Amino acid sequence: MSINKETMLQHLKDPAVICCRKEKGKVIGPEDLEDPAIFDDMIESGLLELSSEGLTIEQVVGCTLMQDTEALTPLTKDLLNKVNPVEGPAPKAEAPVETFAPVVSQSVKSDGSIHIEIGKAEKIENLKFDIPVIAGAAAAAETAAPSGQKHVMRTLIKKHIKITDAEIGTETSIKDGKITIDKNIIEKALKEDELCVKMELDVIHPDERHQYTNTIMDVVPIATKVEGEHLGSGVTKVADGVVFMLTGTDEDGTQVHEFGSSEGYLDEKMYFGHPGCADENDIIIRCNTTVKRLTGMTRPGPFAAHKCQDYVIQAVRDELKKYDGEVVREEVCEDVRREGNPRVVLVKEIMGQGAMHDNVLCPTEPCGVQGGQKNVDCGNVPIMLTPNQVRDGSIHALTCIGPATKEMTRHYIREPLVEGLAADEELDLIGVVCVGSPQVNDEKMWVSERLGYLLETLDIDGCIITTEGFGNNHIDFIQHIGQAGSRGIPVVGVSFCAYQGQLVVGNKYADAMVEENMDAGGFENDVAGCSCVTPEVAARAIQMLKNKMAGVKINPAPKKWNNDVINENNKLLGLPETVLLDNGTLH
Amino acid sequence: MKLTTVEGMTSEIFVPVTPAPVFNELKKPLSECKVAFITAGGIHKKDQTPFNTSGDFSYRVIPFDTPSDQLMVTHGGFDNSDINKDVNAMFPIDRLHELVDAGFIGSLPEETYTFMGGGGNVEKFKNETGPEIARKLKEQGVDVVLCTGGCGTCHRSATIVTRCCEEAGMSCCVIAALPPIARQQGAPRITAPHVPIGSNAGEPNNVEMQTAIVKESLEWVRDCPSYNQIKVLPYEYSHNV
Repeated sequence: MSINKETMLQHLKDPAVICCRKEKGKVIGPEDLEDPAIFDDMIESGLLELSSEGLTIEQVVGCTLMQDTEALTPLTKDLLNKVNPVEGPAPKAEAPVETFAPVVSQSVKSDGSIHIEIGKAEKIENLKFDIPVIAGAAAAAETAAPSGQKHVMRTLIKKHIKITDAEIGTETSIKDGKITIDKNIIEKALKEDELCVKMELDVIHPDERHQYTNTIMDVVPIATKVEGEHLGSGVTKVADGVVFMLTGTDEDGTQVHEFGSSEGYLDEKMYFGHPGCADENDIIIRCNTTVKRLTGMTRPGPFAAHKCQDYVIQAVRDELKKYDGEVVREEVCEDVRREGNPRVVLVKEIMGQGAMHDNVLCPTEPCGVQGGQKNVDCGNVPIMLTPNQVRDGSIHALTCIGPATKEMTRHYIREPLVEGLAADEELDLIGVVCVGSPQVNDEKMWVSERLGYLLETLDIDGCIITTEGFGNNHIDFIQHIGQAGSRGIPVVGVSFCAYQGQLVVGNKYADAMVEENMDAGGFENDVAGCSCVTPEVAARAIQMLKNKMAGVKINPAPKKWNNDVINENNKLLGLPETVLLDNGTLH
Repeated sequence: MKLTTVEGMTSEIFVPVTPAPVFNELKKPLSECKVAFITAGGIHKKDQTPFNTSGDFSYRVIPFDTPSDQLMVTHGGFDNSDINKDVNAMFPIDRLHELVDAGFIGSLPEETYTFMGGGGNVEKFKNETGPEIARKLKEQGVDVVLCTGGCGTCHRSATIVTRCCEEAGMSCCVIAALPPIARQQGAPRITAPHVPIGSNAGEPNNVEMQTAIVKESLEWVRDCPSYNQIKVLPYEYSHNV
């Protein structure tokens, strides 16, 4: 691929290599030269061999080829009519500083614009221009703007209510910290969707984890609105110490939600404590479902299971609304503007390929199903949520992908990147963009373009883009990174890649990337919630973004997944080591 | 507001390298060629062991005289409903028999090989499964290999195995629902119908579309001028999942 003049100027001292076949008599210009930025890749893949006799770009531009030359030939003296003389070593090393320090005068004009005059600089002389600035800014520039001033737009209070036990009984209630669910609710719940033909409820206490479970489709907190019309503001009660876990098979016993299934012993198949998972001491209310045969890998089947479970959870939510239990923690979440700070957004690429690759957005109740819209039905277009909306359970995950790399419903209500960015006083988190990943390539490109223009019009200074899963969604992921990068927006990508999920496509903007993997072999290891956004992943991503926005270099990734690189970054940031789980996965 | 920065951080994920070109010009007419069809889309016979959906570098042997209703899919990476309706949407075995009958292609080998490329182990496919499938096809005198991917990493595995077949001397084309992956991973030739993953070889039960996609992919094997070139096929199908 040839380069343009701008790229050429950045690479004057790099080797000159012909990009495609050129005939004798051609006068060499940037359009004839290969991009030095990709030489490493080309050498590694055997496409290119650099010659010790090779000339640099500044030595060959404007010279004439004396013979027909094949693609990817490094230019040498014998191929050209002449070689440009080059003065000494690289100018940066020896040039006196003054050469690069133009004499600049600056004054604020009466119309508020700033007048800048450059007296003398290398190759630029007597250049003058006026930069219009918004009224008032000029004055502010002189007095150091008050930056980062916080304006609270919306407050959400999450009251965590202590729950100490749960059982399946003959009435639905919460009394003295104990949740009881009427076993007869199952019959009513199944009426929600005929594709879900059977449901069993049981309770798994923390000391009963070593028991068989069907694949873990989802982990859902019990949370309910008690004040405020919509998710994201007012008061939400969250049951503390208990979660729902949805599991399932179809009528033939085939596990539902498979790109890898987490069926097996629960203590080995869930990464307890990770954001999407149950915590070590949580009581788990298991909702085991059976869907009609052959519907497990289609869109309606798994959704039916989610819908029926939600019916049960709603009955508990209704009890939680009335229950005045002990508040173990009161979490105050704010949607804020921090004016003057760098404007950033978090882009969460969520699944949108149909089957179980889907999500319900903005339901009526936190983490609920009813009242929400599915992102697949919305065309997978980018949808902006506020940080509070995400933290109030606006995303209900229907996702399968791999157990280890999917983000379950609980993940979103306590997403470490949302928490980290929202709390960061150096940044101004504008919002969280949810964008689906369609299954048709053309649609992926179309959706990604929409995201690009959204990012552009938001006038942001940086963004972090994450994706759950791996594989085809990495096309969108890389495309999104390109949409930001090509607009000059500093961008950091976050995903599971490692060995099994190594990127299938790439571009030059994917140069600040954070790995989520926590499996020893770098595989999707079928342990629910294992390789996902953790607080450590979030911290590294946020720091990389700040570095990129501030112009601090991020070293290029080695050409092979290596957990030591991740731990070096952890060390730099004072984070705990990323210890990999070895459950023998090799496939 | 000043941003806190930390010097010395390293990017943790690399972008892929496009491998070296591999390309064999097809030297005889299609009507004289033995054509094989392989797929990474998780197709197997109903009486065979299903694939492990989180990653599986094994393959299944499919005799070409297997009736299409004896085939099924085990794949977790996409909505299976199209293949459940018609396996030809991923593995157009009926269309291939029709093309032999019509004289468009010469013959089919006795057997072919299918795998589940989702989450495929790159080294295993590159060094073991791919070369083995290529050798077995070559031994049957195959000239042309067509291949469908399924999901994203399937396209990677599909491309790796297709490259192995090209390296073994056959002329091959990946029929890609996700052409950027086939391109980046170095497929020798690529055709790209506008179809969703899961119906990579065309709409289920749409014989006309499936035939056209197979035929034009074969013609691209014949006509593609050089390595890694894409031909976009004018067939569009989207399913309402």
